[in-house]
Amino acid sequence: MIHDAQMDYYGTRLATCSSDRSVKIFDVKNGGQILIADLRGHEGPVWQVAWAHPMYGNILASCSYDRKVIIWKEENGTWENTYEYTGHDSSVNSVCWAPHDFGLMLACGSSDGAISLLTYTGDGPWDVKKISNAHTIGCNAVSWAPSVVPGSLVDQPSGQRPSYIKRFVSGGCDNLVKIWKEEDGQWKEDQKLEAHSDWVRDVAWAPSIGLPTSTIASCSQDGRVYIWTCDDPTTDNWNPKLLHKFNDVVWHVSWSITANILAVSGGDNKVTLWKESADGQWACISDVNKGQGAVSSVTDGQQNEQ
Amino acid sequence: MAAHWSSENVVVEFRDSQATAMSVDCQGQLAVLSSRRFLYIVNLDTPTEGHRKISRQSKWDIGTVQWNPHDSYGYFFAASSNQRVDLYQWKDGTGDIATSLQGHTRVISDLDWSVFEPDVLVTSSIDTYIYIWDIKDTRKPTVSLSAVAGASQVKWNKKNGNCLATSHDGDVRIWDRRRPSTAVEYIAAHLYKIHGLDWHPDNEHILATSSQDNSVKPFSNGLVTVMVPQLRRENSLLLWNVYDLHSPVHIFVGHDDVVLEFHWRKQKEGQKDYQLVTWSRDQTLRMWRVDAQLQRLCANDEIMELDELMDGMSLMPEQKIMQPQEQTSGPSEEEVAFSEDSSSMPVMVGDTEQCSLPQTLQQEFSLINVHIRNVNIEMDAMNRSCTVSVRCGNHRVRMVVKFPVQYPNNAAPSFQFVPPTTITSAMKVKLLKILKDTSLQKVKRNQSCLEPCLRQLVSCMESFVDQESSPSDNPFSLQNPVTPPLPTFARVTNAYGSYQDANIPFPRTSGARFCGAGYLVYFTRPMTMHRTVSPTEPTPRSLSALSAYHSGVIAPMKIRTEAPGNLLLYGGSPTRSEKEQVSISSFYYKERKSRRWKSKRETSDSSSRPIKAAGKVIIQDISCLLTVHKALGEMYILNRGDLQEMCQKNAASALSVGRRDLVQVWALAAAANDICLTPKSDPDVETPWAHHPFGRQLLESLLTHYCHLHDVQTLAMLCSMFDAHLQPQGNGVSCHPFPSRSNHSRYPSFTSSGSGSSMSDPGFGTGGWSGGGQDGDHAAPWGDASPDEYRYGNINYVDPREREKEQHDKNKRILDPANTQQFDDFKKCYGEILYRWGLQEKRAEVLKFVSSPPEPHRGIEFGIYCSHCRSEVRGTQCAICKGFTFQCAICHVSVRGSSNFCLSCGHGGHTAHMLEWFSNQEVCPTGCGCHCLLESTF
Repeated sequence: MIHDAQMDYYGTRLATCSSDRSVKIFDVKNGGQILIADLRGHEGPVWQVAWAHPMYGNILASCSYDRKVIIWKEENGTWENTYEYTGHDSSVNSVCWAPHDFGLMLACGSSDGAISLLTYTGDGPWDVKKISNAHTIGCNAVSWAPSVVPGSLVDQPSGQRPSYIKRFVSGGCDNLVKIWKEEDGQWKEDQKLEAHSDWVRDVAWAPSIGLPTSTIASCSQDGRVYIWTCDDPTTDNWNPKLLHKFNDVVWHVSWSITANILAVSGGDNKVTLWKESADGQWACISDVNKGQGAVSSVTDGQQNEQ
Repeated sequence: MAAHWSSENVVVEFRDSQATAMSVDCQGQLAVLSSRRFLYIVNLDTPTEGHRKISRQSKWDIGTVQWNPHDSYGYFFAASSNQRVDLYQWKDGTGDIATSLQGHTRVISDLDWSVFEPDVLVTSSIDTYIYIWDIKDTRKPTVSLSAVAGASQVKWNKKNGNCLATSHDGDVRIWDRRRPSTAVEYIAAHLYKIHGLDWHPDNEHILATSSQDNSVKPFSNGLVTVMVPQLRRENSLLLWNVYDLHSPVHIFVGHDDVVLEFHWRKQKEGQKDYQLVTWSRDQTLRMWRVDAQLQRLCANDEIMELDELMDGMSLMPEQKIMQPQEQTSGPSEEEVAFSEDSSSMPVMVGDTEQCSLPQTLQQEFSLINVHIRNVNIEMDAMNRSCTVSVRCGNHRVRMVVKFPVQYPNNAAPSFQFVPPTTITSAMKVKLLKILKDTSLQKVKRNQSCLEPCLRQLVSCMESFVDQESSPSDNPFSLQNPVTPPLPTFARVTNAYGSYQDANIPFPRTSGARFCGAGYLVYFTRPMTMHRTVSPTEPTPRSLSALSAYHSGVIAPMKIRTEAPGNLLLYGGSPTRSEKEQVSISSFYYKERKSRRWKSKRETSDSSSRPIKAAGKVIIQDISCLLTVHKALGEMYILNRGDLQEMCQKNAASALSVGRRDLVQVWALAAAANDICLTPKSDPDVETPWAHHPFGRQLLESLLTHYCHLHDVQTLAMLCSMFDAHLQPQGNGVSCHPFPSRSNHSRYPSFTSSGSGSSMSDPGFGTGGWSGGGQDGDHAAPWGDASPDEYRYGNINYVDPREREKEQHDKNKRILDPANTQQFDDFKKCYGEILYRWGLQEKRAEVLKFVSSPPEPHRGIEFGIYCSHCRSEVRGTQCAICKGFTFQCAICHVSVRGSSNFCLSCGHGGHTAHMLEWFSNQEVCPTGCGCHCLLESTF
């Protein structure tokens, strides 16, 4: 059973992870599919993968039920386990790389309720910061804010370069969506967004195209997808808007690169795409029909049953 | 109706009542018996006469009925029926439904009134939710506890108003209603299904459970104090003293059939005796007096200290649950899944089998599942007998079963042990008793009994062997009620699918993600995989649900039509062996063509084939849905030399990809760039075009429109173009930072003049791309004309004309200078997208128009020693000797702008000079002999 599939920055490679404990990397250039690597190292089902920005090399992070986060790196054509993080006490459910401007930084959310931030400065060991009890019961998802911070739209004092405010959003079993902010090297809870009536399964901070509005999508076990918007970065006033109430759990939301389309998928085995009209209403623009218009498809026949 | 008075008890028979549940009110005055058609209210003082009936119209049996235990609400009783709870009001001899509580989506398994609040009621259901209701507001439950697994029993703590316990298969969960999201405590109490659960009346921390595994266990503080295995005796009720758990204090003998319900009756004033009211399937209500002598037998004076126990089969909650299911399930009833797991209990299989009952012995033999673990059966239908061999541990049992001619119509088979049976005679007696009881119970209902008997036999043997192999667990050795916790209650730490997974979200089996710059990657479950539960039921939220599905607690409806093997339906036990690995696939099953039961054997063969659980991952090009076009990205040009031509070409490009709106935009842009609109340098001549409605305002409305569309491509191009529009004419903005564009893009690591690049080209590792480095000059790559300088630069103008000029410069701009930062963000964002498309040169062209300084360099920086005084310097000018720090090796002039030098010898100079030199030389121009090209990154 596949749990996640993600392409790299350029859209030339596909990484999949599965309950058979493997992570597989396929070359999908020109519609083909070649298995490049079958990464073994996890001792449980692998929940999620994440590609780092290519300026740091070909780096992939994976997280698993076995409480480990593994960072894989391609060196001279072979993939190797470059770092293994074992600081969580329960299943690690989500990994997400920070925008490249922040450096090589990974956020990990775990069922032990904690969120870890792993940073690599280029030499020496990985630096680990941990927010314990970020979400009571467990953290299910993390997503970084884009580095183009709306706050920087306000005129900067002369000569000063915009200093990036590092923020990310997380969702957990306490039905909350929380925004975290780095202040003086410490991670602090910035906002607590409350609307869901059951576990939050995924959160996605929309990529910025330079507009002052910040947008976050969150989805939950309760079948609801909310779009949170913050128009004024100075007030930190986030407004939820119900996108849709689905009949089954919604467990994944994903923004398109210009943040105009949201892909929603869940327990009903369907994928729907949503677009915001000019008057701010969200409408479903398509159910992705299986196999139609696909430029290439990968059948992971080798993924074993688990 | 007939009453028999005896010294011992009162017997009232309600023939044909078919009542399934009973409750005694708080006064001990009234009892309610509930059946499908009527509710009988019986006055317990005069039980033989004057009972009233409340008729009800329902096809469902009453699952549970309970009087409100509070005097103030004593006339209320609640009765659960399928998914609903009806609150009845009994006043002046008549009863009506006061209100109904609806919320559960599956059958309600149990309900309990709060001990402390008269209007609070808790219900549990196999839909996995436990609802706490306030009967003042019956629209929805006030609290909802989600248990993942269906609950079969629920009971409020009698001392703590916030605490309640539920049973789930063999587990007990303790909840605090203030924390509804998760249970406070999990107790792996029994190996098999729990049928009875009750709290200690005086101690907050003690509760008792009874289970299918024939044992009753009181718990305190989560520790086991005593464990009492008890053989099944359906028709009797046993009274125990918790301080002496070796044998029951008293056995209430009298009922002819299973005891369904029992309650203590409230003591009347002046009366010393307690009374126990029981209701049995034999349709009799009995009241038992617990007299002073019997009370003395109970070590403690307080009779409420006694734990009264009922035996395994008596409470049969599964039957209550199963009945509605049978009525709702479809025509596929003929198909029966037989579990290969021997530990399953006949009760659980029992009712599901009813519809497919084989009528003859031959049929039964052909249907029997020969795959029961450790069991061998030789069947001889001609002689109406079969021989069964069981191996379990070191023990062997061989047994001959003979079936009478009338079997299974109220005629039980006979069981006889034959050599080489190795078990003790005491055990034989016990086994025979169990087999007899099991078979009788089935044949009474004219059902075949062989398979249930075999399963019962195997599970009993296993439990005996288990007891033998772990003598420390032997409950009879536990004299002291306070003993260390038994190993069976140790928490399962690493088992996949254990309750510890209760806070791990249920795995995603489908998902979609936008990747790269125009792909949607999605994966779904294979089309052939379907969920075992009905599609209307939501996917469970937690991974621990797998174990629930695995053990069949939730008894997914479709499961019965499924072939065995894929799912271990009747795992029954929460402590599973290595073999029974739970997997995510257990939630889903592979679709099969439905088969008739005749081909069952074939089905079990095919079930050994592994199912292909992995689905397809589909990469879909969704660029048509995006507002940015890769083709446009390739075709668009930014030509500051001839803006008119640029606009025309870009309009043609937009037309070629079908963006007619953009054709107009480019046409407008061309018009706005017309040479006759060029702002004059003298502010007094005319108002700049930017202040015309078709100037800045028009552009702004265009930008707003494309912002709404998230068309960052158009936004970035417009911003770049109107920057370009201004720059060649601006005052003194002639010094362009990129004299040669091709140089810049071809040698991104060579030039040091801040390229505005916030990213490197692919293939460069951390810090790798900084080899070219940036010298101290990099702070002012824009020369004097940096827009930043305009905005923030020297504010203290001496000359008012300067100020006017600056104001005019701002006014001339068609792009509002106040939003420069945002325009830069558009460009950076578009640059990022171009980079994903692999259009690095296009990206560089766009990023040239970014006004704000590039992000501070964080790679290697080069420290410079002043060429005059040798002190360490940052920047171009030495702080000590005030001389320029870096001299060009070719022209011997101090370097201010773009520079390059050798990492090995430290010599270098103007980039252009160095390029020229090394185009035909290999050694350092200073003559130091260093092979700079080989040594460093030149």
